[in-house]
Amino acid sequence: MLDYTKYLLSPAILAVHAYGLWLGGNYVWLGMAVLLGVLFIDAYLPRDYSMRDQRYVRIYDVICAMTVIASFVNIFFFSWLVGQGHFATTSASVGAFVGTLFIGFVIGAPPVHELFHREEFVLRWLGRIGQCLIYDPWREITHVVTHHMRVATPDDPDYARRGDTVYGHILRTFPGQWKEAYHLEKMMWTKRGRQWYDPRNAWVYKAATLVAFTAILYALGGLMGALLAILTLLLGPRMLLEVFNYVNHYGLISATPGRFEKHQTWNHITPMVRILALEITNHAGHHEDSYKPFYKLEPDTNGPVQPQFLLVVLLALVPPLFFMMIKPLLKHWDTHYASPQEREIARRENERAGWHELNSPDPARDLPADVWNMTAARIAA
Amino acid sequence: MIKERAATAPARADLCRVTVRGKDGSEEIFDIRRNDLLLKAAIEQGVDYPHNCRVGVCGSCKTRVLSGRVSPMVDLALSPLTNQEIEAGYVLACQAKVRESLVVEAKLGRHALLPVRTVASRVVRWQRLAGDVIDLRLALDAPVHFNAGQYCTIAESGSFTRRSYSYYDVPPEEGAPAGEVGFLVKRLPGGQFSEWLFEKDRTGCKFWIEGPFGIMGVDDPDRDGLCVAGGTGLAPILSIVGDRLKKSRVARFTIVFGVRTSGDMFANDRLDQLLAAYPDRVRLVTILSHEPADSAWTGPRGLVTAALGEKLGVDFGDVAAFLCGNLAMVEAVEKCLVALGVQPDRIHADKFVPSGTP
Repeated sequence: MLDYTKYLLSPAILAVHAYGLWLGGNYVWLGMAVLLGVLFIDAYLPRDYSMRDQRYVRIYDVICAMTVIASFVNIFFFSWLVGQGHFATTSASVGAFVGTLFIGFVIGAPPVHELFHREEFVLRWLGRIGQCLIYDPWREITHVVTHHMRVATPDDPDYARRGDTVYGHILRTFPGQWKEAYHLEKMMWTKRGRQWYDPRNAWVYKAATLVAFTAILYALGGLMGALLAILTLLLGPRMLLEVFNYVNHYGLISATPGRFEKHQTWNHITPMVRILALEITNHAGHHEDSYKPFYKLEPDTNGPVQPQFLLVVLLALVPPLFFMMIKPLLKHWDTHYASPQEREIARRENERAGWHELNSPDPARDLPADVWNMTAARIAA
Repeated sequence: MIKERAATAPARADLCRVTVRGKDGSEEIFDIRRNDLLLKAAIEQGVDYPHNCRVGVCGSCKTRVLSGRVSPMVDLALSPLTNQEIEAGYVLACQAKVRESLVVEAKLGRHALLPVRTVASRVVRWQRLAGDVIDLRLALDAPVHFNAGQYCTIAESGSFTRRSYSYYDVPPEEGAPAGEVGFLVKRLPGGQFSEWLFEKDRTGCKFWIEGPFGIMGVDDPDRDGLCVAGGTGLAPILSIVGDRLKKSRVARFTIVFGVRTSGDMFANDRLDQLLAAYPDRVRLVTILSHEPADSAWTGPRGLVTAALGEKLGVDFGDVAAFLCGNLAMVEAVEKCLVALGVQPDRIHADKFVPSGTP
């Protein structure tokens, strides 16, 4: 049963955070502290390539749906507490804001992503509604259509090319996504012979959902409560999701857009990140079949791996450090994973980024050939 | 005719049985893994499933689901299917994940599919033609097989940008592979690939080609052909006509070729050679859509659809039609030909859709 209970970690952290908010004062940091503690321990744990138990998979779905609902409760609770003037000190105000922001990203966003990929009506509906938790109901369309079809090419707004910093990526990705979302929405209403303002159009439903969500935040917390709650969602789950995209596809190359191959994404296979992120960092399997539920994803034992997720996200915020970390990995990918055609694209991308050293072999410093290869024997060891 | 590639029931629980029914009563049965894409899995098994782009753009793999369940990878409203087709149960096989055993309706081909390969090559001809067209010819590091009317994707070495072009060559005799292949590339203002190609002579540049893809030139070999080409849509038509002329001693062809002006007639040499080699079996009608009224041109003017009609002297009820050009042109010609009595199953079309510009 351990496989099933593992995923209760996310709602448990949400509960701790909510309790800390309720207690107020310095306790507002409680959820954040637990989350960072878990991620800190995770950084010292070996990679986990195990498959999940498949006997009672409905339990996973229930926990996932429950986490989305609990995330809604959490943000409403935060708004209400702000409206009540509950956070009296600066430390309490900052702690509540930062904790809600960061927990919204790590705990709230993954189940939303998981469910809007699902086929079952109720789960998908919850996933779509759940996009209020990233304050962007349009994120799904550019993700499911554009990102999954064009991953690891500059045609994908979620993709960061070699040499791109996370800050440049954020400035590029949002306009790219908005443009793409408009293009796709317009295609859908045009195909169905409707006017843009037809109430049956998908965008109307999305906009109505967002308005209703905002209205609830306002009703609970007034103007300040709603504003701060929305700000945590925009700066947390919404923007940090783009940091996730930045690191998870950084610099990898596909010469076969539309036909994903497992080596075209990075993976983060540490045990706690797998659990908290609902396996989204177990990324090759997700891109191979985006309909596959998180508990059926099979970690790629020979796939490209980055260091622990939290560390990589933090490094991304300091571009020189991120580049120091990623360059040897990209060089290894170019040498051992890229197809001949992809290798030639990589060579040009390295020149474009000014990373000429990646195009010259250096046997003394290059990573060993099997550094990412996890054979069964090595996993057991 | 029922053609079974599988035992009477799927051997494993993770397999789904797919029964493809043709409108002619034929049936083909095969098994694929649950959650596999219908088109991809069918092609991998050697099933001659109709297809072209394989990424949800061209609509060639249009399939009607009669029973069973598939999940489309994307909202079908974002595909070339019409709203009526979506409501009638059509899906695109290239985007359809198979969830359970299916009975579907599609028109399967009756010839062996060629394996898709990725091959490096060098430009051996970069020749500017009239009408902002380049004749691009590649010598391949390893020879490839292709059928008349097929296409491949090409990409310059080191570039993300890849584009699809039809071979204009006639496939070599006896199924031999080709060591060189050629394409007609039209300059599209702002188009990343074509603008780059036009910038300077690219002879010697390395390219990657991946293919072959698509099915277009398949019909009874001895059936007369009506070929309608818009601009560089002439490339697969040259391949199909040349191939069918070699395979049949009796089939005759009418080529309706539409370009904008008399200054854009980029293929005069090739067409003249074809007419000289087969004077009794090939007829050419060139029609100009934007020729100045005061020019010396005495031939027909207007869109290619204006050249189609009884005056063309074609037995529309018995002809095989091969159409290639931009999406709007091909759709207009399809409608026109159906109205003139061409059997829909005998209309073979390749629709050009401009790609993005990464």
